[in-house]
Amino acid sequence: MISFSIWPIIKIFIIIFLSIYIIFALVVVRQVQLMTKTLEVGFENQLKFLSIMHLMAAAGVLIFAILIL
Amino acid sequence: MPDIFVAKTPEKYKRINYKDLPSEKHNPLSSIVFTPENLRFESMDREEKVILFLRKHFITNIPWIIMATFMFLIPAFVQNLSLFDSIPDNFMFAFILIWYLISTAYFLESFLTWFFNVYIVTDERVVDIDFYNLIYKEVSDANIDRIQDVTYNMGGVVRTVFNYGDVMIQTASEVPNFEFQAVPKPDKVAKVLQDLRIEEQQEAIEGRVR
Repeated sequence: MISFSIWPIIKIFIIIFLSIYIIFALVVVRQVQLMTKTLEVGFENQLKFLSIMHLMAAAGVLIFAILIL
Repeated sequence: MPDIFVAKTPEKYKRINYKDLPSEKHNPLSSIVFTPENLRFESMDREEKVILFLRKHFITNIPWIIMATFMFLIPAFVQNLSLFDSIPDNFMFAFILIWYLISTAYFLESFLTWFFNVYIVTDERVVDIDFYNLIYKEVSDANIDRIQDVTYNMGGVVRTVFNYGDVMIQTASEVPNFEFQAVPKPDKVAKVLQDLRIEEQQEAIEGRVR
């Protein structure tokens, strides 16, 4: 009987999901830039920092997933 | 020789008695600011003066803050359940990280939607800036002298306790209705709009532009 493991397939799905998530995180960064251009209230740097940290976290999780799974 | 034309200054508005409205140096997260300093928006004229800056009352964020907190706490409880024993440790760890990413996205989008959906009243017009989601924004405005009717309501226990409600503005411009949703002190907002309308009518009678 042929043994079959589902985990390599799940790994591929996780990597695809995280790749799409990085695109979403990039959209968030771009949108925060546009929003802060539309409205300046003195909180722009913190928001930009937050969105970039979010993007870096997403990239970090993708690299981590490729390495450990 | 008497002055024929005297320019309207921001101080003129400061003299008006709006004691209850927080003003100028403000917390960027506050929901209502009277004559804010350092506030700019995209289509703002150089001579335009922002009289009132509004967004939804902070209390309206409580549902998504509770939800986000709950989402961040879930992995701490769930990973000990025997249901997930068959999942290898490295996959379990990756799932938890993905869950935290999704929770962060939910938090970010909810916060940005609240933070950037604002209403601005200047000395010349009313501006409504809406970000419906991450990829769609709408900016509409109407001149103060086009305002026909201002109505406000404050129904419900929470709204009465925290003093916030909706202000509906009917105009004769392209956008017939503006709705300032869940803004703090709707009565004061309506009063500011009424005073500005009177000011505009006065300007029209005197033949002033500003």
